[in-house]
Amino acid sequence: MKQLKKYFALTRLGILETIQWRLALFVMVLGNLLYLTLIYFLWKAIFTSAGTDVVNGMTFEMTMVYLVLASSLYGVVELYLVWEIGRNIQNGKIVLDLLRPFKYKQYVFWENSGTLVVNFFVTFIPTFIIVGLMTKGTIPLGWNLVYFFVAFIFSIVINYNIDFIVGTICLYTESIWGINMMRQVIVSLLSGATIPLAFFPDRVASVVKYLPFRAIYDTPLTLLMTKNPDLQTVMSKLGMSLFWVVAISIFSAIFWRISIKQVTVNGG
Amino acid sequence: MNQASTTKSGIVLQKRGLAFYTKIYFKIIVQDIKSKMSYRADFIISTIGMIATNIAGFIAFLIMFGKFPSINGWSYYEILFLYGFSLISITPTQCLLDNNWSLRRYVYDGDFVKYCFRPINLWFYYISEVFDVKGFSQLFFGIGTLIYAWVKLGLPVTVLMVVELLVALVTASLFMMALQNAAAASCFWIQNSFWLLDISLKMKDYAKYPVTIFNDVFKFIFTFILPVAFMAYYPSLAILRPDEVPVLTWLSPVLGIAAFYGSYKLWMKGASKYDGSGS
Repeated sequence: MKQLKKYFALTRLGILETIQWRLALFVMVLGNLLYLTLIYFLWKAIFTSAGTDVVNGMTFEMTMVYLVLASSLYGVVELYLVWEIGRNIQNGKIVLDLLRPFKYKQYVFWENSGTLVVNFFVTFIPTFIIVGLMTKGTIPLGWNLVYFFVAFIFSIVINYNIDFIVGTICLYTESIWGINMMRQVIVSLLSGATIPLAFFPDRVASVVKYLPFRAIYDTPLTLLMTKNPDLQTVMSKLGMSLFWVVAISIFSAIFWRISIKQVTVNGG
Repeated sequence: MNQASTTKSGIVLQKRGLAFYTKIYFKIIVQDIKSKMSYRADFIISTIGMIATNIAGFIAFLIMFGKFPSINGWSYYEILFLYGFSLISITPTQCLLDNNWSLRRYVYDGDFVKYCFRPINLWFYYISEVFDVKGFSQLFFGIGTLIYAWVKLGLPVTVLMVVELLVALVTASLFMMALQNAAAASCFWIQNSFWLLDISLKMKDYAKYPVTIFNDVFKFIFTFILPVAFMAYYPSLAILRPDEVPVLTWLSPVLGIAAFYGSYKLWMKGASKYDGSGS
């Protein structure tokens, strides 16, 4: 219990820090609205040109709900952690963090968990309500909400571990920008954040299906949007995500333990 | 009398300016490139990152548009043309104005003050400090895509067309530079201007779609408020649809210069307001 309390103290600090930046939050929302406007008109044009209501098993409405929620989830889980870890390595602050009475991986996560919580309530919940009201029935209200929430927790863990692994690579390369860039494009393409996975050509989709990235956006969103899914589908999807949660957590922890011996910090 | 001589010396300074500044510019960026080369791993990884971004962008493009012969009256290759075009016209912003990304940190930490004490143009000195070599990778992607689309569209290759293309590219680049410059300058007034810069960066992704997909309200917004439509669409109409070139296409070079100059003025105004914070 006391263990948990010290982590929640970090969460609380993060919440306070994030609401300090109200203007940044406003600009962020504005940027998001512009993005949503773009994808709305873009996909509308695509669906109009396709001439059918259903493209790759998805209607225009479903595609929009998927992409809008994906972008709001992106706003929740993207914490720019690679930058934080990378900078701390470059300027030496990491040495202080390593001395703290936390495990570094845990420390970075909980330090940022406050932002995550604020983002969830400021970005995702309003978007979810608005989208739900505007497209009555596209998001069923039932057990799927529970499945979604479980998948979302998995999504946070997997995404965080990917960030952490990429941050760890910074120990070797002393490069942040390029590596973070690669992470960002690979994750957003293969997770379904930019284009729903249903639109991928079959060959590509059959590979992407088994990668951890889809657990970040595609799995939670598909679970959220499926009305009365049969238990087997749900379990296989969540099972897949859970497998990756475990696998990637173990991998990132081992990778960090090996890599931290490498640490050479300039100055202090 | 006094005033006249000031004006005169002002002119003299400007006349000497261009050659002088070009010389200085190359001196400074050579230093920057040298210092970057000493972090070779970083340089290589960043370049790979850039290439990966372009490949991913291209794959996304194929998945979205590959199945349909045309979108909203625009053929696949015309959209591909716009895509290549926007990649080329982002290059000057990427290569030349990269230091703007650090501006808010310099201002916030108070280190910006070091730029204020040089006898050369402040904006120039700040910008010249960093030259982003890896930005070239998207130039090559852009050129490749543009040529491919050009050939597939069966566009003729005449001197006029090439000149038009160059003017169009410069115009679009000016708009992109203007937007990024203005977004960066916002840090003189507001803290944490990162988000504005981030939005300005994303605008280049929006530029590659024909503005006709939007309804009238957003067409207006993306033309006159956020000049996304000028970052590829209007300038390239002169080449893609030479029979129906709108007035805005003809005006775009002038507007581009005006937008860029405006952003420069804004930047300088912000810098003159800067009074050094931090230690």
